[in-house]
Amino acid sequence: MADSSGVSGTQPPKRAEAILSRLLPERDRGPILGDLAQEYAAIARSHGVEAARSWYWHQLTLSVLPAMRRRLGRRHGRGSKGTLHERNPGSGLGVSWLDVKLGLRMLVKQPALNLVVVCALAIGIPIGLYPDHLVRLLEAPLPVSEGDRIQVLRYYDVENSRAGLPTLDDFAHWRDEMTTFQAIAATTLGNSYNVISDVGGAAPVLGAEVTASMFDILRIGPELGRTLIPADEVASGADVVVIGYDLWQARLAGDPEVVGRVIRVGGVLRTVVGVMPQDFYYPYRDQLWLPLRLGEVTLAQGRQRTHVVFGRLSDGVSAEEAETELVTVAGRTGSGDSESMARLQPQVVGFMTGLIGEDKAGMRANPEFFMMKSLAMLVLIIACGNVGMLIFARTAARTSELAMRTALGASRTRIIAQLFTEALVFAVLAAGIGLGVGDLVVVNSIGALTELMPYWLDVGVTVRTVIWGLSLAVFSAAVVGVVPALKATGKSVHRNIQRAQSGRSGLRFGGVSSVLIAADVAFAVASVGAAVVLSSALTDVEDTMGTLPEQFLSAELIIPPSPVAEDNTPARIAVIQEEVIRRLEAEPGIRGVTMASLLPGMDHRGQRIVLDEEPIGQDVRAHRVAVARVDPAFFGTFEQPILAGRGFDSGDLGEDRSAVIVNAHFVEHVLEGRNPIGRRLRYATRGEEAPGPWYEVVGVVETLGTIITNTDPAMYQAVYHALALGETPSLYLGIHVGDDPESFAPRLRTLTSEVHTAAMISNPVRLSDVVSFTRMGTMIMVLVSGTLIGIMIALSISGTYALMSFTVSERTREIGIRTALGAHRISIGFTVAKRAIAQLAVGILIGMPVAWVFFEETQPSEIPTQSPYLLTVLVGGGLMILIGVLACTAPTLRALRIEPTEALREGV
Amino acid sequence: MGRGDQLAAFEQLVLLALLSLEGDEAYGMNLRRVLRDEAGRDVSVPTVYSALDRLEAKGFVTSRLGQATNERGGRAKKLFRVEPAGVQALQEGRLTLEAMWKLGGLAGPS
Repeated sequence: MADSSGVSGTQPPKRAEAILSRLLPERDRGPILGDLAQEYAAIARSHGVEAARSWYWHQLTLSVLPAMRRRLGRRHGRGSKGTLHERNPGSGLGVSWLDVKLGLRMLVKQPALNLVVVCALAIGIPIGLYPDHLVRLLEAPLPVSEGDRIQVLRYYDVENSRAGLPTLDDFAHWRDEMTTFQAIAATTLGNSYNVISDVGGAAPVLGAEVTASMFDILRIGPELGRTLIPADEVASGADVVVIGYDLWQARLAGDPEVVGRVIRVGGVLRTVVGVMPQDFYYPYRDQLWLPLRLGEVTLAQGRQRTHVVFGRLSDGVSAEEAETELVTVAGRTGSGDSESMARLQPQVVGFMTGLIGEDKAGMRANPEFFMMKSLAMLVLIIACGNVGMLIFARTAARTSELAMRTALGASRTRIIAQLFTEALVFAVLAAGIGLGVGDLVVVNSIGALTELMPYWLDVGVTVRTVIWGLSLAVFSAAVVGVVPALKATGKSVHRNIQRAQSGRSGLRFGGVSSVLIAADVAFAVASVGAAVVLSSALTDVEDTMGTLPEQFLSAELIIPPSPVAEDNTPARIAVIQEEVIRRLEAEPGIRGVTMASLLPGMDHRGQRIVLDEEPIGQDVRAHRVAVARVDPAFFGTFEQPILAGRGFDSGDLGEDRSAVIVNAHFVEHVLEGRNPIGRRLRYATRGEEAPGPWYEVVGVVETLGTIITNTDPAMYQAVYHALALGETPSLYLGIHVGDDPESFAPRLRTLTSEVHTAAMISNPVRLSDVVSFTRMGTMIMVLVSGTLIGIMIALSISGTYALMSFTVSERTREIGIRTALGAHRISIGFTVAKRAIAQLAVGILIGMPVAWVFFEETQPSEIPTQSPYLLTVLVGGGLMILIGVLACTAPTLRALRIEPTEALREGV
Repeated sequence: MGRGDQLAAFEQLVLLALLSLEGDEAYGMNLRRVLRDEAGRDVSVPTVYSALDRLEAKGFVTSRLGQATNERGGRAKKLFRVEPAGVQALQEGRLTLEAMWKLGGLAGPS
């Protein structure tokens, strides 16, 4: 059935069709595209849109080479004899295989220059691709049958631009009343369950509570046994679980009789009713699926329950139609007051969009995405601009060759086509290297964050990415190849040959070169500034822990909610936590145990405080500090003396929790060295919020690690509150084990399970190895940015050097004539250098404010920017001045050595 | 038959596949499907059309435009038909092949 409005999927992908249309000969273009469109529609109906799209792109890749061979075969004529005369290819791409071979041969000439060119494009092309690659990744549907028909139902807060989760009551109503969905399901996210099994003892496993309809929606059947059924969701139903393939193999020894076995999951004995196939980890990396029982306190663990409501659209129904119905149904059944309901807009969105809470319009409508894409393209254009300059300088050296080819009959188009092809060879090679290296970097760095990534996300390079990479390679080749070629072939043959005889190219960069050199210098100065900022993130954070963290085991102790409400009181939780500590302290070899909301070396939460002496009101000056809650044994366990005042004691754990301890950094920077004991502070509030309670400083300790990276030294100043056991069901344990603390982890798990079967030990790791997401993200950013900046600086340097040396070389005859007329060498040298100095000065003057803006935007307000900024200007400016001097010196000295008579003998 | 009129191996397969199709079914994509399913040759659509163009230039097939449909993006189908000259070329090719098989001492194709 014809579709013009866009019931999605009945039309082939427009970009692929457009590429094919360009490649196919006119005679058969219509029938071939028509055949492909017809087949596409048939596949979309039978196997889904995604399968049809993949098939169509596959046809494109199959068709490229034969189509190009046909075009080249028609141009050169089969069986024609070669002559000395160049052929004019006429219309079409103008590319021949001979040009490709010449391009490959150029790769081995001037290897240093070629390496810079390839590296620059290998950086620029993948960066130019990255924003769209990221968006395509996030827009990818689930890898199940007709995955694009699976949509998320949610609320969206239009005022605050954030997604809101529906309640489970909403889910129940929508499930019963919506007709535009075949089925609707709900699943929890981000939960772990303590699984006790024969193999591996007790260990947490990612799992989800799901409604039985989830398996119908995903259309995935079990490997063994069955999936969940509606009867499992009944509150009085048996406690069952469906397990994942990896869990079955690793923790249950792949027992073929596993269906029917009873295992302990989250403290509850559950019967295994099914095993899911390999590579099924819905929704993230889950290996357990428990029935979601509405209205019951379940065994979900984690600090906050989050769940997603999603469904499969009924046949023939669009997402827009489903959303219209949802608005009506939600309007009838919505919970909450009328004001909040007016703000919350019911939406039906794609699965990934719903999962990450992105705006319905998608990332592409996000202004930050536009900025990211603009920056990425700017990087590519800068890379292309510099590479273009280098290739132009090289092209200028080939003037005699180009002049001779023109004399033999080569058209301007033919020569430009060859130069474009040579540039294309570089660009394609660079794109391949860039994508390959980028794939390795991205996959390996993202691999460290695997548990956070949905399993179906393939972050690596895809076929589509490769095709886009090739498109960008063609664009880059056009910029770096065609533009210089147009300039190089713009003169008459006679003048070209004459100039070739005189050893001159006759090419002038003109004002363009000055602009490009100035831009390169400015970019290099700004890049050095960026490098200085980034390097500060790598310096060691300031703390007094020394090597002590290497002896500590850090682990999170999580006590999940119990089905019995009485077991969820703070008193009950405190009993469990206290027993765990008691048993740990009784273990041989354990030197100390403490509990805290965060341990030294972890990224602490930042909050703003005001001091008692400071004015309260609009002019209040708030200080940002790191905050943590620690038990009274904390400082002693970490062997930190109390420098002034006292530590926490049991008296600080009562109803009056007003005592706080600060660190030395706080005293130095917030109190400016004044006596802290007895001083009061409270947390800053926003707007009309009532002010909070005052806290009194009772003690001072050394500066323990409160931040992973050195990007925000304000976070060194810390405030510690006393932590009472039972206050929160999730805390960090700091256990002083001694050598090889990680060897204690299995014992810690066993011991904890003995105290409480549902209690979970998460991520036991040596304290010195604690890696926060901030640190990983920062390290990845530093690595990638540092590489990028290094390449860009190298490119700026080489571009500046090449241009300057070329420009001076072109003035050889002028220098010879002036020498013949009696000009002093120093005077000549100054005249040559004058222009170079002006270009460098302009570049540095432009680069300085850019670097200043960069510092101002990236450095926290507590850090003065003057000294690193001055360092940047000195280093960056000095480096480029040095490069400029080197670039001018050698060709100037060469020119001065030429005999005036030789210079005069050269033709006019 | 001159050398230029002889059929290449792939062209023979295309003609034979075309003979198995009739009327509105005798178009490029269907030919490709027959070649893939019956002869195990998974080629691209442009390759099939390229062979058909050569055959048409040799006078072995003729083409006509069918009806355009919305499903095809408003593009007409190009339908092909084997001409008697094409059938004759196939038969001559088969006879030549049989003769060469006998010459080689192997049992000829049945």
